[in-house]
Amino acid sequence: MEDSKTLYIDYGKCIGCETCEYVCRFVHDMPRIHMIRTATGFMAPLYCRHCAEPNCAKVCKRGAIVRDRDGAMVLDPMLCRGCQSRQCMLACPYMAIFETDKGVTVVKCDLCAARRQRGLEPACAAMCPCGAIEYVDRATAESLPDEAAKAAEQRVLDFVKPPKTKPGE
Amino acid sequence: MEPMNFNFQCGDPPPPSGLSLGIVGAGPSGLAAAGYLSCLGHAVEVYDKMPKPGGLMLFGIPGHRIPRQRIEAGTLRMARQYGVVFHTHTKICCSAPLFEEEGDHFCTEVKGLGEMITKHEAIMIATGSWRSRKLGIPGEDLPGVCSGLEFLFPIRAAHYCAPGVKAPDVGGKKVVVIGAGHSAVDVAHGAAALGAASVDMLYRRTRAEAPCGRLEIERLEAAGVVWHEGCLPKAVLGETAATGIVCQQGGLERGFEADLVVAAIGEVATPPFAKELGLESVRKGEVRWLNMTAIENVFVAGDALTGPSKIGKAIYSGLRAARSLAQWLDLKAQNRQTEFTGDELISREAERFPGGDFRDAPRVRGR
Ligand SMILES: Cc1cc2nc3c(=O)[nH]c(=O)nc-3n(C[C@H](O)[C@H](O)[C@H](O)COP(=O)(O)OP(=O)(O)OC[C@H]3O[C@@H](n4cnc5c(N)ncnc54)[C@H](O)[C@@H]3O)c2cc1C
Ligand code: SF4
Ligand code: SF4
Repeated sequence: MEDSKTLYIDYGKCIGCETCEYVCRFVHDMPRIHMIRTATGFMAPLYCRHCAEPNCAKVCKRGAIVRDRDGAMVLDPMLCRGCQSRQCMLACPYMAIFETDKGVTVVKCDLCAARRQRGLEPACAAMCPCGAIEYVDRATAESLPDEAAKAAEQRVLDFVKPPKTKPGE
Repeated sequence: MEPMNFNFQCGDPPPPSGLSLGIVGAGPSGLAAAGYLSCLGHAVEVYDKMPKPGGLMLFGIPGHRIPRQRIEAGTLRMARQYGVVFHTHTKICCSAPLFEEEGDHFCTEVKGLGEMITKHEAIMIATGSWRSRKLGIPGEDLPGVCSGLEFLFPIRAAHYCAPGVKAPDVGGKKVVVIGAGHSAVDVAHGAAALGAASVDMLYRRTRAEAPCGRLEIERLEAAGVVWHEGCLPKAVLGETAATGIVCQQGGLERGFEADLVVAAIGEVATPPFAKELGLESVRKGEVRWLNMTAIENVFVAGDALTGPSKIGKAIYSGLRAARSLAQWLDLKAQNRQTEFTGDELISREAERFPGGDFRDAPRVRGR
């Protein structure tokens, strides 16, 4: 688990160019990384952190989201029933599970499982023109963010979970 | 920093296919296509009029937003490991006369399309969208009026020591920027950073409608740029050079003093041989084969096809066109390409991706 890898996006370096989402679409047909645009016009991709304690897996009654050998949290379409309640989507603190019109109707990142089989890294990390996406071990991912990255990430998290404003504010 | 990996589709280079392919334009779309096709073992040659591959990633977008080394190292890797040959300073002629688009003064060699078609099994046009849109108002041809790319391009190109290319001299000048897209923002930041006395930014709609977004406008304001909205340019003032600009704002006429007016209101695509290639029909999806032009072995991708977009869309377009080209080559090798004309793939893709956004984009919860 400790030496397993995950994705880390430095939102401070990201320029919102959409390359990650489009490359993901090219590789997987239905992208598992998804651009948002906040009310202030800031564009950034939402992505799965392959959490150490994943809420998505915790709430799924079918046990359809499991950790694979490399540490990625993978949705198994054989087990997923595409239930209407969408517990996994609601449980993810990073809004990293998406609804689609296809198959089991939810998609999430599997760290490019088929590519990993061939010894390749996730496609988005390879192609981000800014080098904002890193495929690194967990400890490194935790040590990477600087002040600018944290401030930028806060803007994304405020989009995911808008801060409560007091009435009249 | 790791190089951008245009060859992300493969590990080690595959055995050579024996086929030679040409790509015109080394922006994100052309480079993505070059990566895809060289991963299939094809011998890929890329032609670009600029001194370095990278397109607008190097010559349009400022270096503090995209690290230049990552792009340069990526193209070098493609050349060294996958044998992609880059012909820089080479323009493939010509829908517009030389010296009409930014960057033309770099070319030392001009090649015709016919030469390309005979040299290569197939070619891909990925020349982007470089001709600046005009304001269409009196006075816009005065000295002291320029386009966004005309302003930004020399700042970046000056790095490459091209004779006659100097960063714009705006020190102590009053600069007016028109527009509110990415390039307008880059121009305004550039002007402020180069020591302009004042930078006024004029936009015809409101802050909330600005394509660059409110956050960018706040950043500009923090850098000293003054934002004016609902401002429609009417005329550039001046006898021998621009001295100001008149706008209509909320039913009133309003003047701004200016030594330099930069109209960053977008670019239009000027691919070579647009007519011969029947690009209008390709845009509408009336094609025999995805991304194929009226000439059978000539494909087109990126902003040259769609008009100004973004890096991500251009890369996707380049990848898709490359996949389509590769499929066509496979069938051609078996002499079966006619069986699949009017391929349902085309209509299916046109359905999904009518231009701009996908109909089947994934959704986030609650939105
Ligand atoms: C100022 C500015 C800022 C931008 N900021 C952003 C941003 O922040 N995020 C974002 O996602 N997008 C941004 N964009 C848009 C983005 O740069 C383009 O959408 C993208 O680069 C298009 O890629 P392309 O490969 O189609 O074309 P280009 O990048 O334009 O590349 C085309 C290449 O073809 C070459 N060429 C053209 N004609 C010929 C010819 N006849 N013969 C030989 N070579 C030729 C050119 O030299 C160039 O290298 C910006 C654009 C501008 C102008
Ligand atoms: S590819 Fe990189 S810079 Fe572009 S949107 Fe994704 S993370 Fe941001
Ligand atoms: S989907 Fe969400 S909760 Fe599950 S691992 Fe990814 S980021 Fe964590």
